[in-house]
Amino acid sequence: MAPDIGYFSLFLASILTSNILLANFLGMCSFISISKDINSSNGLGMAVTLVLTITAGVNWAILQLLQSLGIVYLRFIVFIIVIAAVVQMLEMIIDRISPRLYMSLGIFLPLITVNCAILGVSLFMEIRNYSFLQSIVYGFGSGLGWWLAIMALAAIRKKTEKAPIPAGLQGAGITMITIGFMAMAFIGFSGMLQVQ
Amino acid sequence: MKMSPEYTKAQERMQPGVITSDGFLGDDTRPIVDIIAADEQTMTKLGLDFETMCSLMHRLVAEGRKGLGEPVTVQNSWVARVDEARGFLASPFDDGIFRKINVELELAPNGKPTGEKILYSELSLHLIEKHHFFQGKGSPFRLDPAQAKKVLRL
Amino acid sequence: MNPAFFIAPLAISAVSAVLAALISLTDKIVNNYGEVTININGGKKKLQVNGGAPLLFSLAETGIYVPSACGGRGSCGACTVKVKTDIGPHLPTETPYLTKEQIADDVRLSCQIKVKQDLDIEIPESLFNIRKFTGVVERIADLTHDIKEVYIKLEDGQEANFVAGQYGQFEVPPYAKIRERTQRAYSMSSAPSDKGHLEFLVRLVPGGIVTTYVHEHMKEGEKVNVVAPVGEFHVQDNDSTMICVAGGSGMAPFKSIFNDMIETGKIEERDVWYFFGARTTKDLFYMDWLKELDAKYDRFHFIAALSEPQSDEPWDGETGLITDVLGKYLESVIDQEKTKEGYLCGSPGMLDACMAVMRKHDMKEENIYFDKFA
Repeated sequence: MAPDIGYFSLFLASILTSNILLANFLGMCSFISISKDINSSNGLGMAVTLVLTITAGVNWAILQLLQSLGIVYLRFIVFIIVIAAVVQMLEMIIDRISPRLYMSLGIFLPLITVNCAILGVSLFMEIRNYSFLQSIVYGFGSGLGWWLAIMALAAIRKKTEKAPIPAGLQGAGITMITIGFMAMAFIGFSGMLQVQ
Repeated sequence: MKMSPEYTKAQERMQPGVITSDGFLGDDTRPIVDIIAADEQTMTKLGLDFETMCSLMHRLVAEGRKGLGEPVTVQNSWVARVDEARGFLASPFDDGIFRKINVELELAPNGKPTGEKILYSELSLHLIEKHHFFQGKGSPFRLDPAQAKKVLRL
Repeated sequence: MNPAFFIAPLAISAVSAVLAALISLTDKIVNNYGEVTININGGKKKLQVNGGAPLLFSLAETGIYVPSACGGRGSCGACTVKVKTDIGPHLPTETPYLTKEQIADDVRLSCQIKVKQDLDIEIPESLFNIRKFTGVVERIADLTHDIKEVYIKLEDGQEANFVAGQYGQFEVPPYAKIRERTQRAYSMSSAPSDKGHLEFLVRLVPGGIVTTYVHEHMKEGEKVNVVAPVGEFHVQDNDSTMICVAGGSGMAPFKSIFNDMIETGKIEERDVWYFFGARTTKDLFYMDWLKELDAKYDRFHFIAALSEPQSDEPWDGETGLITDVLGKYLESVIDQEKTKEGYLCGSPGMLDACMAVMRKHDMKEENIYFDKFA
């Protein structure tokens, strides 16, 4: 049975209290490497949101199929295949419809295939027994949450570029510490809502 | 030694037909980190350091260009021939583009050519200077450190 | 046997198959640009091509050869085309090769942009004449230890129409470790009246792909392709004094130009000074022919200069860098009163050095002509 959560609270929770990045620490690799540059962060955030929303819905349907056949244990492989295929198709479609958007997303679109946040959302959707609409809301919210987090980190990193940071901590070091603080700040939201 | 993603990517870009038709690897099948490590060892064994060698090579390019396309005798020790072609080549390490300037340097003490030659380009010199990469065996622009020592008289 | 053994692989295969079908379907629908119209120079020429390929290749398919020294690899920056249709911002693969003015002027690298919609483009009209010739190597001769003369007979029914001074893209097949056909630009050295042939002078460049092929692999009787004629380099139609400077295989366009001038009689009507620079007597060629012209025509003057004449070779001509010799003649020998035009062929460094000398002697930059390729 699908859990009894309103769409709106699920939406808010996935952005803030259960932020896929800062609560579950998924999608860290691109989060750290891309946040160097604020424009790229924006592009990647947009792409992640788009792919998350679509794959959450598609994978929900696929999951029903797997369940009816009794082969749910294959979900990891199948989800990855689906994600890769969806990204491939999206790439072609965006290139055709809006070359400008395609240009600004650039390499990030194909990179998303291996972003663990995407697979994470599909797996959470399965564990938590979300309904179709809940899955889409959760996927969309998680995407926005990821986008929000990477933009915040990119902005902070722009500030810390000029800060007097000890040599040993520059680069990845200070970024990890920053992310730690951000995660703690987001814990502050956890009293507001709770989803499981 | 382990190949970092940067090196793996660089090695892919060194295949024939990606940046240059010849590629940068010749018949060498070793990972580039091994090529680099082996040549670094040779350099130490020969008592050469990269900085001295590369700054001399840069100076010789500048002297050779004064020949305006013809070979020119430099410091009574070398004959340098510099060829310039239109266009640029990108570094396989993705750290810059370089004019297509080739130098053929022949050792010629007191104007007597010895037949001992080395061939390098702005790009191959950059790869040696910044990445200690002399190119794979059989690559047209491979610079053998021992040959470089002989021709550059270091 | 338990049917579960089959369900899993079947299900995965089915899912993959459906997705693969979806992808190729999307590809068919999305990447099918259909017939696209390329409108050149405001309607002078209209082309129907299948969309999806780089502009350089789409144009080449219909017989318009935009010059490219690297053959579409995106490394020479030569294949510029002005695209008036909005096709999005310049790609990162284009910007390194374009100046700020070119970018502001919508100049693109035609090998990097794909034809996805109807396009309005502008190219020099001279490109309409460029075509791909097929020919057979009739003769390869050594001019010096490192320069070869390659004489190509065009196959039946083909006629080359070019202006003396223009160049062609010479194509060589894959050889040794090189897996693809390679093109490089060389000036035609044959006279334009010799319509059935094209001739090139090719100097061996250490490590060079085409030059190495010509010097070590090319045989008489072999088939070759040449895309020609390209370039804006030609003699201006006026009566000012021509100051021509070349070194090495830079001789090629001048051989063509002088032969053309002899045929048209122009060589008796204009003052021509030809400066040719080499290192030693070993690097000189066509000397007898040029000395003969010098003796035969009053207004034609040939000056060869050696930069490093060897002590064991007799040499009574000029010595020193060609730029120094040029400076000396501009200073004290050549008539100061008449207007002068510069014609140069050589490496970028040689062009820059000659321009500097000519500017110093009050020659105007707009009157100095050259093609900047080597």
